[in-house]
Amino acid sequence: MTSETTTAGAPIALSDSQRPARFTDTLASEWVKLTALRSTSITLALALVLSIGTTALATVAVAATQDEWPANLDPKVFWAIGNIFSLIVLSVFGALAATREYSSGLIQLTLTATPRRGRVFGAKLVLVSVVTLLCGMIATVGMFLIAQAVLGWYGLPVMDLGDADARRTVLGMGAVMPFFPVVGLALGFLLRSTAGAITTVLGLLWLPEIFGEVMPMWWRENIISLLPGKAVDSFTLGHVVQSPSYSDPWIGAAIAGAWLVAVVGAAYLTFVRRDA
Amino acid sequence: MIEVNDVTKRYGNTVAVDHLSFTVQPGIVTGFLGPNGAGKTTTMRMMLGLDAPTSGNVTVDGHSYRSIPAPMHQVGALLDAKGAQRGHTAHQHLRWLARAGGIPRQRIDEVLAIVGLSDVAGKRVGEFSLGMYQRLGIAAALLGDPGVLLFDEPVNGLDPEGIRWIRILLKRLASEGRTIFVSSHLMSEMEETADHILVISRGRLIADATVAEFTQRSASSHVRVVSPQAACLAQLLQGAGATVTSRDGELTVTGMDASRIGALALEQRIELHELTAQRATLEAAFMELTEGTLEYHSTVPDGSGDTANTQPSTRTETP
Repeated sequence: MTSETTTAGAPIALSDSQRPARFTDTLASEWVKLTALRSTSITLALALVLSIGTTALATVAVAATQDEWPANLDPKVFWAIGNIFSLIVLSVFGALAATREYSSGLIQLTLTATPRRGRVFGAKLVLVSVVTLLCGMIATVGMFLIAQAVLGWYGLPVMDLGDADARRTVLGMGAVMPFFPVVGLALGFLLRSTAGAITTVLGLLWLPEIFGEVMPMWWRENIISLLPGKAVDSFTLGHVVQSPSYSDPWIGAAIAGAWLVAVVGAAYLTFVRRDA
Repeated sequence: MIEVNDVTKRYGNTVAVDHLSFTVQPGIVTGFLGPNGAGKTTTMRMMLGLDAPTSGNVTVDGHSYRSIPAPMHQVGALLDAKGAQRGHTAHQHLRWLARAGGIPRQRIDEVLAIVGLSDVAGKRVGEFSLGMYQRLGIAAALLGDPGVLLFDEPVNGLDPEGIRWIRILLKRLASEGRTIFVSSHLMSEMEETADHILVISRGRLIADATVAEFTQRSASSHVRVVSPQAACLAQLLQGAGATVTSRDGELTVTGMDASRIGALALEQRIELHELTAQRATLEAAFMELTEGTLEYHSTVPDGSGDTANTQPSTRTETP
């Protein structure tokens, strides 16, 4: 505020009931915006039902038809077969948290109410991370427990969370659940298009899974291992599963972190600077 | 008070706003007029920090919008009324907004009552008519009880009763000392509502005047004079700098007001039978100003005489 611009217009005095807005106001606002939508609870319920349900059905299918656990299926990770559905649904959830603003034209109002754009970006980042973390944890623990329950029912060997390897897989997989949803959110801010953001995040999630295993060894070791999906998997599964596409778990975590910083950083800088 | 200081906005090679400067004063309704595509919405978006000017700056009460500490208490805006989440109810829509500004919840019911949407507070926004969207947008703008209000085409989609309502609301808000800035491409609307008029065309300011000044300056404002000594009077007035056309002893005088014509006639002892000031409508004055500056011309020649301006002017003078 310079002296010449204040001569005629005295700043409006705020009354007692009026106060400057804070980051917690933005966070509360985004929370109301999200939870007031019926689609939010449906989406989160869908992630849980699809992932835990798929694991239950697949485990029943194997256990009911085999006398022993088949050697070609790894019991340490088989229970996580439904996880891909949590990943897909929650990644879409993350992307929509950003793109809904643009498809509905809401963004103008959001930024008029909160012109400090970093706050809007930060609030959405926190909400998507926390919600998908909680949902991811419930999904992975749920998948693990239901798989063990089915195996026990059929008299096959079971694991429990007292087992260090199993615990690390379950908690690790839940802990990294926000990774792709946050990438989806960032892509949503970058592309401002629902279709574009979802296609890109699911491509990033799926393509290495589909084509990674058929690539020549050099590619798997040096290229595929640098992609976010395999980097995340090396962290969550590297201690129980061997794969040429995996890095050392902590190197995997570092690669995934670098992806996150790059994508989220680019989205932040774009969102803060670009015309809304 | 809003200050626009030498603002230019370019999108690639297109200049949307071209060295625009003006101030919007508190206590009155300021109409922001211009044809579609003139740069009205772009200007308002820059006032709200949604778009950044290519050069120049905009301040609201001395601050750039992005650095205002309590934006919702200082500025309220209606830009795109349809910018709402279809799945939210009217009340939910206002609730997230109120939360963003740290505004107490009971204020939501107050603004819903002001705009007449109390009965549909629990209805989903997706089921709203355009008129209801406009009312919801106005409720959103009023949430923080701000001293500065911006409305972009607020009468769009409103029925005559709604238009009357918004006119009264705007005047009341201005009388409370607030700064009211309303854009429209409908001149007739502003004539009834605005105290001060800003006209832009192709991103440039072409008029900044009170409604009275604006219509007076128009070429289609003229004075009708009937005199038995018409020829003599015509000569006298032309000599004094007025433009006069004569028909059957009736003179049409532009560029001079009635009192001056009367005084000159009295001096020369010329008898007058009629001396009538004919004020142009805002509509006519606007058409005249923006003629030739429109971005999109209709290919149909305008000979229908559907405007009050029957003497197309080629003036390019900026008042």
